[in-house]
Amino acid sequence: MTVDPNAATQDFPSPRPAHGSPRAVRYLAPALVACAVAVGLGVYGKVHDPEGTAFNLAGFSSTGAVKSWLATAAFGFALVQLVSALMVYGRLPGPSWAGVLHRWSGRVAFLVAVPVAVHCLYALGYQTYEPRVLLHSLLGCFFFGVFSAKMLLLRTERLPGWLLPLVGGVVFAALTVVWLTSALWFFRTFGVTT
Amino acid sequence: MKRSGPLLTLLAGLLLGLFLLTLNATTGTRPASASGGDSPGTKVSPSPTPSPPSSPTTSTPPPAPSGSPPPDADYAGRTDDDSSAVAVSLRDGKAIAYFCDGRDKESWLKGDVEDDDSMKLTGGNGGVLNGTLKDTRIRGTVEIGDQEYGFSAAKAVKPSGLYRATETVRDAEVDGGWIVLQDGRQVGILKRDGKPSPAPEIDPRTGAVTIDGERLTARPVNP
Repeated sequence: MTVDPNAATQDFPSPRPAHGSPRAVRYLAPALVACAVAVGLGVYGKVHDPEGTAFNLAGFSSTGAVKSWLATAAFGFALVQLVSALMVYGRLPGPSWAGVLHRWSGRVAFLVAVPVAVHCLYALGYQTYEPRVLLHSLLGCFFFGVFSAKMLLLRTERLPGWLLPLVGGVVFAALTVVWLTSALWFFRTFGVTT
Repeated sequence: MKRSGPLLTLLAGLLLGLFLLTLNATTGTRPASASGGDSPGTKVSPSPTPSPPSSPTTSTPPPAPSGSPPPDADYAGRTDDDSSAVAVSLRDGKAIAYFCDGRDKESWLKGDVEDDDSMKLTGGNGGVLNGTLKDTRIRGTVEIGDQEYGFSAAKAVKPSGLYRATETVRDAEVDGGWIVLQDGRQVGILKRDGKPSPAPEIDPRTGAVTIDGERLTARPVNP
């Protein structure tokens, strides 16, 4: 990934001359993809008959424990995301490799969250039988939608400076609530088990 | 030039998701001998504890549209008068059902599922369950003693379903049956040397239940 030496300091995606893509389309595409991902996941979770079970990782007592730990790992990396983003934007003193840290901790967090989501959607489905579960189902789908939008926005040029931090913040907030309504609930209910 | 990193990230997530999904779909509940992908870990094995039905069935195929035996699944619901709960577990064309009022009336019933997805299950003391599976629901009647109950049981996904624990605790033969309904409520009866009483709640995720100070594990019931 090349770094533009002329890039303004506060811009994560270096601003370059507009590419000719009409103004609205730049936001429309990520927004539409986000909607498609979130709704698609939700519909799959609703339509697919939950299997009730899926394979488990060795060394864990239940899929709930596996998922809780993976989700906790993802949340941990998400905290790194928050700090490194503040560094990138100069709100916190940080090393020159804060950007690299931000990118890679984000990738890891995302990839760790994927198996959890697959299990949720495959084995449990989109459920609404209590507020916690409803909130978790909704925000779980929302998270992957808004994350896709964030990734696509990174490729979009000439964004207003506040947009990426806003979307990134929403991604972080969504993941936090998803974690609170699942892994934290699991650990509080069943104890911190492996 | 546009950044390709974010796209690659999304693509990697998508591929990982699809990979895990196919792994799930192809392995069913059989021991997964495939080695898992990159990030989540390297070894996968079937959950050792309660989640998958520990029956030696070959696989749980995704709801087959047609074919002779109905797909393996669990069903749970209440009787029409709301007094009792009924759960049915189907495996390989065989069925086991449990009727339980949560106080003193219960019955285990067994039988086969016919080609037209109807079933007539019989239990001790002349109990009979007549039911038909249609879509994702079993409807029918249960006769226990001299009473007949209509019931409707919807598909139940772990941790809801049917559980049983039999063990000797302090020289008493305890036999507990639990129906965990879709909303998480439980209906269960615990018999100590044949004497029924309301059962303490189980932890539906692990099956753990404490009976007379002793910790037992209730397991999912399969025919």
